[in-house]
Amino acid sequence: MTLTIATSLDDILAGLAQGARPIAGGTDLVVGSRQGKGSLPDTLIAIDRVAELNTIDVGADATRIGSGVTHARLMTDTTVVEQFTSIADASALVGSPATRNVGTLGGNVMNGSPAMDTGAPLVVLGAKAELASTSGTRTIGLDELWTGPGQTSANEDELCVALVIPNRPTASGSAYVRLEYRRAMEIAIVGAAASVEFDGDAIGAVNVALTAVAPTILEVTGLNGIVGSALDDATLAQVAEIASEQAAPISDLRASDKYRRHTIGVMARRAVDAAARRAAGEQIAVPVNRALGVGAVQ
Amino acid sequence: MAVTDMPEFIRADGPDKVTGTGRYTADMTLTGQLVAKFKYAEVTHAIITKLDVEAARAIPGVFAVLTAADVPDIRFTYGIADRTLFATDRVRFEGEIVAAVAAISDDVAQQALDAIVFEYDELPPIVDLEAAIADGAALVHPDVDSYVVTGDTPHSGNVATHSSIAMGNAEEAMSNAATVVTSRYVADASHATPIEPRAVVAQWEGERVTVYTSTQVPFDARNLVCEALELPANRVRIIAPHLGGGFGGKCGGHFEPHIAALARAAKRPVKLVFSRWEEFIAPDRRREGMIIDITTGVDADGKIVARTGNILLDNGAYLADSAFFPQAAAMHVAGPYVIPNVFIDSRLVYTNHQPSGSVRAPTAPQGCWAVESHTDEIAAAIGMDPLDFRRKNIVTTGSVGAVGQTYDEIGLDQCLELAAESAGWGNDLPDDEALGISVGWWPSFHSPAGAYAKMHGDGSIQVITGASECGTGSVMTLRMLAADELGVDQTDIELVYQDTGAAPAGPGSSGSMTLFNHGRAVERAARQIADQIKELAATELEANAADIVLADGKASVAGTPTVSVPIVELAGSSPDGEILGSATTEDIEWPEIKGSTCLGDQGFSSWMAPQFSCHVVRVKVDKDTGVSRVLEVHAAHDSGTIINPIAAHGQIEGGVTMGIGQALTEGTQYDDAGRQRNAGLLEYKLQTIADAPKITTQFVEIYTPNAGPRGAKGLAEAPNVATCGAVNNAISAAIGKRIYQLPMTAERVWAAMNDISLEEA
Ligand SMILES: Cc1cc2nc3c(=O)[nH]c(=O)nc-3n(C[C@H](O)[C@H](O)[C@H](O)COP(=O)(O)OP(=O)(O)OC[C@H]3O[C@@H](n4cnc5c(N)ncnc54)[C@H](O)[C@@H]3O)c2cc1C
Repeated sequence: MTLTIATSLDDILAGLAQGARPIAGGTDLVVGSRQGKGSLPDTLIAIDRVAELNTIDVGADATRIGSGVTHARLMTDTTVVEQFTSIADASALVGSPATRNVGTLGGNVMNGSPAMDTGAPLVVLGAKAELASTSGTRTIGLDELWTGPGQTSANEDELCVALVIPNRPTASGSAYVRLEYRRAMEIAIVGAAASVEFDGDAIGAVNVALTAVAPTILEVTGLNGIVGSALDDATLAQVAEIASEQAAPISDLRASDKYRRHTIGVMARRAVDAAARRAAGEQIAVPVNRALGVGAVQ
Repeated sequence: MAVTDMPEFIRADGPDKVTGTGRYTADMTLTGQLVAKFKYAEVTHAIITKLDVEAARAIPGVFAVLTAADVPDIRFTYGIADRTLFATDRVRFEGEIVAAVAAISDDVAQQALDAIVFEYDELPPIVDLEAAIADGAALVHPDVDSYVVTGDTPHSGNVATHSSIAMGNAEEAMSNAATVVTSRYVADASHATPIEPRAVVAQWEGERVTVYTSTQVPFDARNLVCEALELPANRVRIIAPHLGGGFGGKCGGHFEPHIAALARAAKRPVKLVFSRWEEFIAPDRRREGMIIDITTGVDADGKIVARTGNILLDNGAYLADSAFFPQAAAMHVAGPYVIPNVFIDSRLVYTNHQPSGSVRAPTAPQGCWAVESHTDEIAAAIGMDPLDFRRKNIVTTGSVGAVGQTYDEIGLDQCLELAAESAGWGNDLPDDEALGISVGWWPSFHSPAGAYAKMHGDGSIQVITGASECGTGSVMTLRMLAADELGVDQTDIELVYQDTGAAPAGPGSSGSMTLFNHGRAVERAARQIADQIKELAATELEANAADIVLADGKASVAGTPTVSVPIVELAGSSPDGEILGSATTEDIEWPEIKGSTCLGDQGFSSWMAPQFSCHVVRVKVDKDTGVSRVLEVHAAHDSGTIINPIAAHGQIEGGVTMGIGQALTEGTQYDDAGRQRNAGLLEYKLQTIADAPKITTQFVEIYTPNAGPRGAKGLAEAPNVATCGAVNNAISAAIGKRIYQLPMTAERVWAAMNDISLEEA
């Protein structure tokens, strides 16, 4: 096995063109291989020291978050916490301090697990993935990127350079909540992200996406009915019901499908509630799970 | 010396462990060392039809492949000798070892495993406790009647041992009771889960073998090697490098004989290091699943008048050290209560699960969880506050417990009050929070243990003990005792431990026995040196030996501290060149019991220096999801005199946290065949440091005669007993429904709240 430490983006793309696999934090790749989920690729190219992948650039219309940005940074970065709060909520829940210090946004997204925590927030924020190879760069929607558990539509020689997220309108907020049986080293049993935009006192736009209840992150549809309503208990109950209905949960040793279907509704309702409160200007600290005692109790 | 005068604890193994320079068994490398791997049955119940290792042996780089045919044909284990090193004619659980290989590398060892031809006819798995004891049930050990049986171990069919407690007339008293409450509780199996996986390295020199191994009890590991490989004790040396936790799971011997046999056959040192999966499925030290039926009758005043109980314990495929489990479980179902009429039946049942064995306070967390939950159910049935109900019924100094033991001075009543007051029992709490209370108990155990103490010619001191330091700090405490006897600083003493070649035998780190037994031996060995130093000082100072006082590194004449000589200088004046001490523990009499009969008595009928505890926990329940979180634990413990407060607090905090894990998240899940489905740390959920609640600990210090050094009782297991019960009582108080299955996972709490029945695998 060979490991090359790349120092530039060109290095990486050249390496990928020759069949190398990128390794960022290695928290999925290395841990997975140790657990017998396939052996490590023969040629690895370490991408964590390439500066271009580690920037957060706020543009006129959109913000580019480099794929190499770590969860530790996402959960504290001012832009992310203020503008794309649900990502910070999610990153703050990843693993342990050690996992967050090396695990990256790009690794989370490209690993393609339906349990990835930043996935649902990226979906409700309307993010797109910027993929590059020696033959060019393209930007694709996440629904196009994720094709199944652990599968993406990216070509083998394509690197995810950044996630590009439209800048947020005023009076908007987002939040991510996750069911947790314990408060660290947890994997998403179910989770939900929401983005809410107010139009006066009424809901102007709402997006909800669900973690770990389908082969890929599931964007909830049919929420148009609550646009224009006030954010009250009845609205939230509707959100919970719609999310529960659309989830396609499995039964396994983490939870039964029955329990997952119920709790996904709870998570969706709480995510919308927290997002709406943030949209209304309330300061809810990151992560929502700790601040409000949702998912796991405080 | 008053114990409160003890200096602050300095932990000799601390810097090594904290800085990472400490070496554990898995860190060892010997020249020429080979890799060991085991071939496991992976099927839970089958008759072996073919086992052929020739192809594996032929692989270049494979140095040895062993099966039952290559080791002495011996069945071992106390109680019922039902075990062999390797599977013989059939396999009885997924982790049963069929063959072992030693090879040049991991890959070659794996190739060898893959090349072993292992064929079998599957048998229906025996995994249901009630079905296993029904008439005509198929047997896990069809030949059990031909096995050697030791101790008071009544067995029949799939019942490996059976124990009962009978006192008074439970049936009659029950029929006269004002209120009768019946409950059934089911506890899932769980694991000790030390972070250090087991590792063994064996090396032969001529006819002698040295085995480096992560055992908590080196002498038991030695005895197992001797027994299974037919070797005399003087040719087997067990050395345990630093241990990365044990929690009972590393008690006794496990895989030392396999690796010693491999090393002999391979003529090379051989090393085994377990993966986490192996750590879950292979050891014979799972915490047993249980089904507990309890019925209690109380009179119109709320006094318990009778209790009956029926307990089934899942032993798994083989006896480890589990022969005493039925009796220990029965004692917990009786509980630390005054109950004049008792009948409890308790059976250890063979199944095709992994064997059960000692895990921190074996049977107690589950038994106590059941009985303390049941206690709250009784209190609710008669409309009494759970604290008041316990006040009325617990054992106190002079009272007679449920097996007819009369208690000397004990502090359970004080524990109850201290914990309840600390938690603010009776104060208003938010809707989603509640307090829960539980009392617990656990015996201390006398065991022979020895110690040597040496003062070398240069005045430096060594204490050599058979004790094992599995992380509790209790071995480190031993030098405080020796230092105190000798009037020197604890840091002047070096410890030699975890080496059967150097130390006299003892129970190692098991059964909360380190301080209790090894402590007494160390104290006496040190005293022997102290006496000799006093003699030398008496000559030097022209005084009477009886008047010599040892303190601050000096020997001086009582009353005239200016007339003194440094102890270091005296060492060299010994005619023998060094000063030696050697001692064992003195016997302690077991307390008497009156009026009860105990079948299947394995030494748990009366409890020596019994320890008592009360835990009050504050729990918050997320009522939408059932996720429960323990916010506070208020623990009060009577463990006799506390010699080392820092280490004692550490034990309570660790035991409580482990208890919370068992209460909420730690449970082994099986498939229909009895294979573990969550044999890994992602799916078997330990508590993390982020989950740890605020823990407030108070000790009720009662000097206890006929106990450990300076009136100390045991301490390491007791904190693990009461937590689960208190957590259930708190959850139940918060949600208004009771949970009858352990662990009380979020999904189970949610299901109980909403009257949903879960079909669990
Ligand atoms: C103890 C522990 C706890 C965890 N907890 C969580 C959790 O709570 N929530 C959660 O979502 N995840 C969790 N994870 C999973 C993991 O940490 C995250 O998914 C993390 O974000 C992965 O990032 P990485 O940089 O380590 O990825 P790597 O392991 O380096 O890479 C993962 C995959 O993506 C590919 N890849 C990486 N970067 C790129 C890129 N820029 N372009 C193209 N392909 C790329 C790699 O080739 C590999 O296939 C946990 C992992 C561990 C070990």
